Amino acid sequence: MGVILKLDHITKLYPGVRALNDVSFSIEEGEVHAIMGENGAGKSTMIKSIGGAISPTSGTITIGDKTFSSLTPATSAENGIGVIYQEFNLVPSLSVAENVCLGNKLGHKFFKSKSQMNEETTKILKSLGLDIDPETMVSALSTGQQQMVEIAKSMIKNVKVLIMDEPTASLSKGETENLLEMVETLKQKGITILYISHRLEEVFRISDRITILRDGTYIGTRYTKDTTRKDLIKMMVGRDIGDEYPKRDTKPSDEVVLEVRNLCGQGDENVSFQLHRGEVLGVAGLVGAGRSEMAKMIFGYLKKDSGEIYIHGKKTDVKSTKEAIQNGIGLVPEDRKREGIFLEYPIEWNIPIMSIHKLCNGIFLDNKRIKDTVDHYIDSLSIATPNPQQLVRNLSGGNQQKVAVAKTLGTNADILIMDEPTRGIDVGAKQEIYNLINSLVAQGKSILMISSEMEEIMGMSDRIMVFYEGEVTGFVDAKDFDQNRIMSLASGIQEA
Amino acid sequence: MKQFNFGDFFRKYMAWIILAFIIIVFSFTPNFFSAGNIINILAQNAYAVICSLGVAFLMMSGDIDLSVGYIMSLCAVTAGILNVQLQLPAVVTVILVLALGVLLSMLNNFLSRLLKLNRFMTTVATMSIYQGASYIVSKSVSIRGFSESFKAIGQARIGSIPLPIIIMFVLLIICSILLSKTYFGQYVYALGGNAEAANLAGINVSKMRYIISALAGALIALSAIILTARLGSAHSTTGPGTEFTAITGILLGGVSVRGGEGKMTSVFAGVLIISILTNGMQLAGLDTYYQFVAKGIIMLVAIGIDVFNLNRRQVVRKADK
Repeated sequence: MGVILKLDHITKLYPGVRALNDVSFSIEEGEVHAIMGENGAGKSTMIKSIGGAISPTSGTITIGDKTFSSLTPATSAENGIGVIYQEFNLVPSLSVAENVCLGNKLGHKFFKSKSQMNEETTKILKSLGLDIDPETMVSALSTGQQQMVEIAKSMIKNVKVLIMDEPTASLSKGETENLLEMVETLKQKGITILYISHRLEEVFRISDRITILRDGTYIGTRYTKDTTRKDLIKMMVGRDIGDEYPKRDTKPSDEVVLEVRNLCGQGDENVSFQLHRGEVLGVAGLVGAGRSEMAKMIFGYLKKDSGEIYIHGKKTDVKSTKEAIQNGIGLVPEDRKREGIFLEYPIEWNIPIMSIHKLCNGIFLDNKRIKDTVDHYIDSLSIATPNPQQLVRNLSGGNQQKVAVAKTLGTNADILIMDEPTRGIDVGAKQEIYNLINSLVAQGKSILMISSEMEEIMGMSDRIMVFYEGEVTGFVDAKDFDQNRIMSLASGIQEA
Repeated sequence: MKQFNFGDFFRKYMAWIILAFIIIVFSFTPNFFSAGNIINILAQNAYAVICSLGVAFLMMSGDIDLSVGYIMSLCAVTAGILNVQLQLPAVVTVILVLALGVLLSMLNNFLSRLLKLNRFMTTVATMSIYQGASYIVSKSVSIRGFSESFKAIGQARIGSIPLPIIIMFVLLIICSILLSKTYFGQYVYALGGNAEAANLAGINVSKMRYIISALAGALIALSAIILTARLGSAHSTTGPGTEFTAITGILLGGVSVRGGEGKMTSVFAGVLIISILTNGMQLAGLDTYYQFVAKGIIMLVAIGIDVFNLNRRQVVRKADK
């Protein structure tokens, strides 16, 4: 054992931004080393420096016994560094074997040998304990399997250090489990792993040591067994944030604001539930269980096949998103960047867009009322920005999410559907969203919160509705919350 | 505190800066700066500006239409059939031709939605259909003998200002207000910025695309009417090429090919850049074929500027990480 990778005073400057500031630390051979930090902490910049995608402004990187002031992707790979970025580098239209062997000439210099490629790939897949046919088209694989192909791809290059950037961000629960097991397998094979994640649960399970970055600066490295969640959060956020899930004083009332009966869509969903005034109804389930589809059906975005929706006791047939908004339903969509906000536009443009028709005199925009609305939400949701003219893409994930929420709140919706409200945002921002949810509920609004994070959903909900393959398998009250029970409902093992 | 940023300033007023530069360069050629030539350039190109206003609405909402030139062609020869062969009054002709333009543009949108293709690909196909239809309708001959009241649309003057210039400025002001001061305009940007998010924000995206198509179709048809009236004759070659001027001018005006940006006044400046360059090249006695080459180069420059702006933004984006 010894130091296999060492960063020495690495600084990376972008115009106006110090992405990495004099970062030094080292990785021991054979360990699983987790890197944690909030968004903007410099994790991605650091990986890209090691992988050779960018050159640091100053400082050196030492791999084994060789020291570099900057790397290219080729020299980095030659020296045994493999990087699996969040966006995979696979060619979807080629087979698994062709992808694994891409860039590695086996056998003849000019002609490729299909059999040799398949053979080599099978060998690697087997050594990783994977059961994937090397001739399958990559496009036919699930996200989790594609990731395994990425890992196989790095194996053929004899990597010594494998860097994984948020590998579980887009994986389902089952796939995540497979990945974590794979990390263990790789460790057994003597491969050093640099694991970037902001999921505390995973990091605690697999890592030997954890390094924390904040605002581009190195904060510290801890042995996983000697540290606690609370310590890590404090290091990441820079202050004590108290309870991860803030307590609520208010209780839901008996008044039913939204009732859904036998809602069916294109799939074989069949959903019935009641939402009460002032309630947070959590919606748990695996990715792909049909929760987002249900949300979009209630919101009039997807067409429902059958079923009835009652809003404040009145049967309402919502045929479009516009009608949903008119009926007081608001949706904060799952995929923030694609569905929730207009990245290329300023904050002051985004916030009023859903309610802009109400902020008009006749057909003309009422700029004063628009400005007041924007100022009100920037202030009340404490959106951190130098000015309202800032483009939304320049904001952190948490602030982007607040803009998405503000946009929906502007419609005065009293029934809010929040689909994965804290996905991809950092610990501090998560807590602000939780506080916001609590204050909305205190105002008498009702919230349907879809979340794949078990702890979040148990920490925030009054009741939890569990989905399995498009059907509600059970309701669990706050006093009976139990992770195992919810998981077994979500995987269809147990009937309520 | 907002600091003055030269890059942003240039980006915002790029078309006007280039226009000023070109005017200065051409002011050295004799005759360029006479009042007559200026009015002449504006009157000659009013139709292109009007057409560009329509295409700009499409591009800002994230669509692009290549069949514009042949929609104009079909509108022009139809005007000929109606006004000359059927002897219909000018008012009726104008109304029917406007309706045709609206219809053809909406058909492009309908087909794109039906085939789930982007408008770019659909209009590669409909361009050929409209071209064929135009030659079939006109039997490939030039239609002359328009009524005086029809020709007046392109040739009359109010005081010493030709009518097309007045129509152009009135429409420029209306479109500009529509885009920047109404929620319809906000919705146009919303579609261009992120159609998916627009839909989930309660905007009826499908209806909006039809409305924008109709508006663009009307402006394109009006452009064909003014051009035909000015020439006093209609032929199937009347119109094609305008889509090129329009798209280049719109790009120079700072509208992105990805939609979601730009101002109508800058589009006006962008189209004028092309018009003045063409006029200047003619005054300088440059051969037509060289002019084609020059125009192609201008378009590449316009696209280059668009790409440059995108890259610049991506650099900023990386820096945020």
